[in-house]
Amino acid sequence: MQGNGETAHPPYLFIWGVLAVLMFAKVGVSLVGMARWMSVTLLVMISFLSALLVALYYMHLRFEPRKLWVLAAIPLPLIVILLALVMQDFR
Amino acid sequence: MSTAAAGARTDWDIPEYAGEHHQELSFLRRYVFSTDHKVIAVQFLVMSLVFLALGGFLALMMRWQLGFPGQPMPGGSVLPESMAPGGIILPEFYNSLVTMHGTFMIFFAIMPLLVGVFGNLLIPLQIGAPDMAFPKLNMASFWLAVPAGFIMLTSFWVEGGAAGAGWTSYAPLSASGDYTGVYLGQQLWLLSLFILGFSSIAGAVNYITTVVNMRAPGLTWFRLPLTVWALFITAILVLLAMPILAGALIMLLSDQTLGTTFFLPELGGEPLLWQHLFWFFGHPEVYILILPAFGIVSEVLANGARKPVFGYHAMVLAIAAIAFLGWIVWGHHMFMSGMNPVLGTTFMVTTLVIAVPSAIKVFNWLGTLWKGNIHFHVPFLHAAAFVSLFIIGGLSGIFMAAAPVDIHIHDTYFIVAHLHYVLFGGSLFAIFAGITFWFPKMFGRMMNTLWNRVHFVGTFLCYNLVFFPMHGLGIEGMMRRLYDPTQYGWLAELQPWNVFITYAVFGLVTFQVVFFVNFFLSIWTGRKAEANPWRANSLEWSVPSPPPHGNFMAMPTVYRGPYEYSTPDGEEDFILQSASPRESERPPSDGTRSRAALNEEEST
Amino acid sequence: MSHAAAVHETRRFMPGFGIYNAKLGIWVFLLSEVMFFTSLIGAYIILRFAHPEQFAAPGAVLNVPLTAINTFVLICSSVTMVKAYAAIAQDDQAGLKRWLLATIVLGSTFVGVQVYEYIHLVGDGFVANASAYAAEGGPLYGSTFYLMTGFHGLHVSLGVLALAWILLRAMRGEFSSKRLGGVEAVGLYWHFVDLVWIVLFTIVYLI
Repeated sequence: MQGNGETAHPPYLFIWGVLAVLMFAKVGVSLVGMARWMSVTLLVMISFLSALLVALYYMHLRFEPRKLWVLAAIPLPLIVILLALVMQDFR
Repeated sequence: MSTAAAGARTDWDIPEYAGEHHQELSFLRRYVFSTDHKVIAVQFLVMSLVFLALGGFLALMMRWQLGFPGQPMPGGSVLPESMAPGGIILPEFYNSLVTMHGTFMIFFAIMPLLVGVFGNLLIPLQIGAPDMAFPKLNMASFWLAVPAGFIMLTSFWVEGGAAGAGWTSYAPLSASGDYTGVYLGQQLWLLSLFILGFSSIAGAVNYITTVVNMRAPGLTWFRLPLTVWALFITAILVLLAMPILAGALIMLLSDQTLGTTFFLPELGGEPLLWQHLFWFFGHPEVYILILPAFGIVSEVLANGARKPVFGYHAMVLAIAAIAFLGWIVWGHHMFMSGMNPVLGTTFMVTTLVIAVPSAIKVFNWLGTLWKGNIHFHVPFLHAAAFVSLFIIGGLSGIFMAAAPVDIHIHDTYFIVAHLHYVLFGGSLFAIFAGITFWFPKMFGRMMNTLWNRVHFVGTFLCYNLVFFPMHGLGIEGMMRRLYDPTQYGWLAELQPWNVFITYAVFGLVTFQVVFFVNFFLSIWTGRKAEANPWRANSLEWSVPSPPPHGNFMAMPTVYRGPYEYSTPDGEEDFILQSASPRESERPPSDGTRSRAALNEEEST
Repeated sequence: MSHAAAVHETRRFMPGFGIYNAKLGIWVFLLSEVMFFTSLIGAYIILRFAHPEQFAAPGAVLNVPLTAINTFVLICSSVTMVKAYAAIAQDDQAGLKRWLLATIVLGSTFVGVQVYEYIHLVGDGFVANASAYAAEGGPLYGSTFYLMTGFHGLHVSLGVLALAWILLRAMRGEFSSKRLGGVEAVGLYWHFVDLVWIVLFTIVYLI
């Protein structure tokens, strides 16, 4: 458990600001008429970054034992496997 | 809780060791809404044995129809007109029988027997914990499984009968009642499995947290018994696979009831998506049904051979490898679905790779037996039968993993033979090994050895008589889920085989009755069991049979691995994991039979 | 009694990941939630990949500005939640209650806006029922949209209920810097739901 006693908390409000900016940046990207592959790549990257920020700071993963990182990462390869292989079947 | 007084309250009730508390529970709290993992294990055991018997009964009716198509079933006139008018099974009812036999056996018999019973019984006992991490969640897990089974069972009596689209419920057959004539039955099937998913995930969360966090001091990861390893990895598979099924079930249910179009092609949906999602769940599910059996068999074989498990680390890594590979092979169920052939080749290769860790396990089991001082007790017999039958099932699996061969034998009785060799010959024999091995720990009494041996010999013989000929029937082209084989000329010639199999099934069922009677009689009339009747090492054998509420008087300490058999020093050939090195020179604690006594008993 | 309490304290630091059972349990549970949303979102991605003609361009059917604001509301609820946790970690009882209440209000607002959005969409003929579908795109669009956002909304609603229960316990003074497992566990769930929405919003509304 982090945060017991006097130790400083992570910059929650700063993260909140970053998340808000990223969110509106996404809306901006989708409104600006850039090439589709580019906007999709950007949007996926930005939302991945936002999700990572939430997990690392709001869910405190950054301050947890590394074993929990491993546990939390288990579903990620499965998601990639499922999508990558099934999409091959609908090409 | 006794600690509810000010100052001692915690956010969650932490389970206590037997020496730390003293409270009397009411009958209802102790046996019905119990939070004690051992009681929940017994509850799961009784529930799943009931469903096992029910599933067997459904199979018996199917076999009657296959052996004697169109003839009235003895006693079949008690069934309503909508199922079997005059005792003759209707085709629609036969579809329901096939579907519900598979569903009951997989989801309500084998899975709760392996995961629910042995997970609950063994995980806390073998890791030296007083109970599961979340005892109330554990109770909820059982009391979600019961209504799920009840809903599944009642679907037989609703309008249109029970689900009839097979246990895989392929869309679009299952997505619209217009195809099968089953409306509410299919929806209840989906609902029931959805509820069961909650039960399984609750159990998995409990098992994982318990194994990770509640091991006794000294019990490092590589001192865990292989049963705990297998159940732990199985729990991870349950945790990650069941939600995929839940999502697919929701989509299918909304296709049925809300008019959505996920799997209905005429409105733009994709029936293949159901197959992909179902088998992305379904293949890990296959390993959920066999990995705990691996653990049980390893435990029992080492005990019977009085030798350490050969290649302990390799066994653990093989389980982990199988569990991982299980996620990238699901397409081998779909070679005939019109899937992209390139993808089919990919799935074929990954599937064949699974043979490697599986073979490692089999060779290690044989290595465990090699030059062992084998005691042929009943659990050992079942475990040895498991190894031999699993080899047959594994080899026939390689046939179907190869796409070109699978095209010929897909959805024939060859697959029926294969899946019964791994699920009955594999899982169920391991379950018999486990039940007979840990029966004294569950009930404090021994099962009758003579009748257990009768059950084993009869089951082993009849089992092979039933399922081995099915390989041949499948290669000859007899379709799976076929209502009446005599309608095709080339199958009508093979009808004597079907009659033979049906007679063998009568024998198989008879021997299961022996087991059931022995099981329930032994609970009350069996010989009282001592703490360690099999002279085994792991922690559950260091406490009385049955263990008290809270299992251990105080937190045990572990000094060594679980398979230290044939230790050269000392009077006994085993040493408990919790026996302190300083105590190892002492004679065994009372309640343990000496080697001489055991040999004498075996010779009688 | 002091003995029992001492046992409880020592057992919290048993071999393992070094985090207490409830926290590990909720993390493990969230992994299964990841897979659940994988099946729903994955179905959407695959169906859209296979039948692009059935899906309309972003903003053609859905109200993006309104949902962007709603997303912002949910992000705000995440920061109020973590503030509630930070408050109780420093034994600030009043702060805990204040921030929990703010989280509940923001969470309820999110659900309310979503219901409002649903009503308007259904009025425009954007429905889940394939045979009644009348909006741009095809019936798969409606089916997948309501499946994903509906189950996310259900999770938010359950989260609001859990937060209300935590607030009730906070009012009874059950939490302190030594006992904040309940706040942390529900907080983890709440942030996870927020995380899922960040992904959903991008995939459903913007791409």
